[in-house]
Amino acid sequence: MTETVQRKALSREQLLSAYRMMRTIRDFEERVHAEFATGEIPGFVHLYAGEEASAVGVCLNLDGRDTIASTHRGHGHCIARGVDVTEMMAEIYGRKTGSCHGKGGSMHIADLSKGMLGANGIVGGGPPLICGTALAAKIKGTGGVSVAFFGDGGSNQGTTLESMNLASVWDLPAIFVAENNGYAETTSSTWSVASDNIADRAAGFGMPGVIVDGFDFFAVHEAASEAIARARSGGGPTLIEMKFTRYFGHFEGDQQTYRTDEVARARAELDCLKRFAGRVSETDELARADLDAVDAEVAALIDAAVESARAAPLPTEADLLTDVYVRY
Amino acid sequence: MGDAIVGIVANPLSGRDIRRLVTQASVFPTAEKANMIQRMLTAFGAVGVQRVLLSTDLGGISAAVLRAIGRRPAAAGSGPDGRWPEVEFLDGQPIRQTAQDTVDAVRRMVAADARVIVCLGGDGTARVTASAVGDVPMLALSTGTNNVFPAVREATIAGLAAGLVAAGQVDQQAATTRAKLLEVRVGDRAETALVDVAVSTERHVGARAVWDPATVTQLFCAFAQPDAIGLSSILGQLCPVGRHEPHGVTARIAPDADCQVLAPIAPGLVIPVGVREVARMQPGAEHRVAAGAGVIAVDGERELTFSPGQDVTVRLRADGPRCVDVPAVLAASARLGLLRRRC
Repeated sequence: MTETVQRKALSREQLLSAYRMMRTIRDFEERVHAEFATGEIPGFVHLYAGEEASAVGVCLNLDGRDTIASTHRGHGHCIARGVDVTEMMAEIYGRKTGSCHGKGGSMHIADLSKGMLGANGIVGGGPPLICGTALAAKIKGTGGVSVAFFGDGGSNQGTTLESMNLASVWDLPAIFVAENNGYAETTSSTWSVASDNIADRAAGFGMPGVIVDGFDFFAVHEAASEAIARARSGGGPTLIEMKFTRYFGHFEGDQQTYRTDEVARARAELDCLKRFAGRVSETDELARADLDAVDAEVAALIDAAVESARAAPLPTEADLLTDVYVRY
Repeated sequence: MGDAIVGIVANPLSGRDIRRLVTQASVFPTAEKANMIQRMLTAFGAVGVQRVLLSTDLGGISAAVLRAIGRRPAAAGSGPDGRWPEVEFLDGQPIRQTAQDTVDAVRRMVAADARVIVCLGGDGTARVTASAVGDVPMLALSTGTNNVFPAVREATIAGLAAGLVAAGQVDQQAATTRAKLLEVRVGDRAETALVDVAVSTERHVGARAVWDPATVTQLFCAFAQPDAIGLSSILGQLCPVGRHEPHGVTARIAPDADCQVLAPIAPGLVIPVGVREVARMQPGAEHRVAAGAGVIAVDGERELTFSPGQDVTVRLRADGPRCVDVPAVLAASARLGLLRRRC
């Protein structure tokens, strides 16, 4: 075996970790989907199911020096970055034990201790944030890399385009991950994105742009590892476009009259978890029993998270003004 | 004899893979793919092609051609110089955004009696087209990254050649050549390659492209030209084999080998590659792959994984796709005066 192969090959632990994260995201989202329908969860939720390979394939390449910024569809990015699942569930239920003490909800889950700058209710809100953290990492010389996830809708926002320009001009260790799931809310990206691919826009900003099958963990991981290694060594920003489909509507309750049978086909033929399981079994890297054990472990984790969230107290009136002002 | 029909299949995703990131590979714009099709339509119209069957896609190529057709003034259809053939868009079937789209489109073209099928893409697109084209002549034009099989050629000229063949103005046998083919078998799975088969120690198909020769242990080439880009360039500098020579060439790739070839294995990537045990491949002879587990790449793209204990064999075949020989067609046209008027 050569050095290059050793550098790239994922260990058994890494493969198990990747599968555990993707399975956790899937089960978390499917459970939130079911629980939201009961009316117990306040506010809006936007589910990430179907897109797991993107968050996990990218975030597995990150370490403690790195930061990510997410979107309104942020649960998957939080889980992939290691935010506590029980605290996340409590946050979505609006409980005091939540990641943001129950005052942020689904769209504002943040955990700076994990380098997670936050889900973000503002479309295109993440890219400017990571220009800041990437600049800080560059000035301090930490070797840290910052990643902004945004959707096809976010790719059309001025903030995203300005951030890509700035990142290129300043040669920042910034990775722009365009998660093109085909629809900005209900508007098809084939209509709303004027370039034929979001990745094509990279050329205009003087950075590499690549298209990746967002259902394929291994394809995502490989492209992200190269882009992140490049950014860490001073090579500057990269734009990666993931192409895939979200399994649920834009938000829970979306009637989805704007799309046809693509979800059924994606679930049957393209699903990232099925493909991952198939491939690692084929190569004998993991056994079915290993994956089944993870499935059972994750199911128990999600059950416990929901139970704990339901039992947790709501914020009180006295909590209203905490975490609002910062003295500096 | 039926209508003079040409099929065009254009891959919207060619020229977009990880090599934009790990090398300085070019981005081939969608607009240019659509322009190439329009230039071909003009050439087809000039030499009497009646119908064109065009693949549809979500990448914007077929949409741009449709818009161009809509913008053409009505008068353009009547004059002999500006006439475009009737264009039929092959829609009505699901677009999966995978290689299957190319296979489906090519099969429909074959079933509709296309006399020539033009494909726009890189080596990967040509390979997929070849797998479905049967005995219909194909013409591969480069709009991809590593282009050994498809020609980098002006679309107007390619269009004239494809059109002359489709319209029956030149002898089809003299105007086409038979390409070689590599057949690789892993258990009961089989793939074909037009240029090269590489054995890689990578465990997964991943980002598909092979751009790191340190992962390659064995290489099989149907042909290896000294001026090629990609993996076949390694043997092209060591033991060149022409497109139309009957044999192929194979070698072991090893970083510590005495013999090192400075090879352009991807655009912007010229690196030393260690080579040993170079040998000829005779047509039909079965070559067994000596590796425990890994991935087989066909024409530069990882495609098949294999595990210890699985038999992997590679065979050179002489019965590859029939390809339009553009210089030969246009030379015949000059001899026969096909593009001359009153002279």
